[in-house]
Amino acid sequence: MNNTLYGPKSNEGAWLWFIKAVTGLLVIVILFIHLIVNHFVATNGLLSYADVVRYYQNPIIPIMEIGLVGFAVSHSLIGLRGIILDLKPTRAFIGVINWLFTIIGVGAVVYGIWLIFAIVSKGTGS
Amino acid sequence: MSEVSNQSPVSRALKWFDPRAHSINMIGFILNRITALGLTLYLFLHLFVLHQLAQGSAAYDGFLSMIHNPIFTFFEVLVVTAGFMHGLNGIRIALNSFGVGIRSQKMLLILLLGIAVLVSLAFAVHMFTV
Repeated sequence: MNNTLYGPKSNEGAWLWFIKAVTGLLVIVILFIHLIVNHFVATNGLLSYADVVRYYQNPIIPIMEIGLVGFAVSHSLIGLRGIILDLKPTRAFIGVINWLFTIIGVGAVVYGIWLIFAIVSKGTGS
Repeated sequence: MSEVSNQSPVSRALKWFDPRAHSINMIGFILNRITALGLTLYLFLHLFVLHQLAQGSAAYDGFLSMIHNPIFTFFEVLVVTAGFMHGLNGIRIALNSFGVGIRSQKMLLILLLGIAVLVSLAFAVHMFTV
């Protein structure tokens, strides 16, 4: 398999490549909304703790942010793995990377979801 | 091919960032790589830094006042620019992967990078004036 951005690489697998493409598209959509809301819709761009907590009381926002964390972390780690594959690592090293990135990815998503619920709870007084 | 295989991983990695004698498509490839690495670093830093939201208003507002200066705003503009470049270039790559727009991919790359620069400029003007 040649060393290119187009299509899955050797060791990447068609499914991982497809997930990377789909999560990339979803990140673009959600991130664009995230940037527009943060910088243009929210007054002065969510520049205080109170602004952020108030912003998270809209139920759409935590759902959108959970999606953003999940899709962005998945896309970035699958992409980073793809870059590492370009360096032609050994099979053993790829195995280590697979486990390491799975642990980092699951940890980051769980932490992100916990953080989102922690911010929501600040506004509900619980 | 054997010459490439004999190079060390570091040499192969550095080749990504060498724009000399690269076609516009290769420059698109390099830009995609550089922005990917930068955005991945930013994503995990962003997640880490936001834990201050869980610590309450004093911690978070103190952090915001620390980063509310032109240097941090400049880096935020770089992140926004990298995001638009990576995202729009990614759409081109996805389309090309499915066989769409392959013949006009150079024009598409220039057009999408132009849009990324213009939209980033709009964000930069807004971010530096708030």
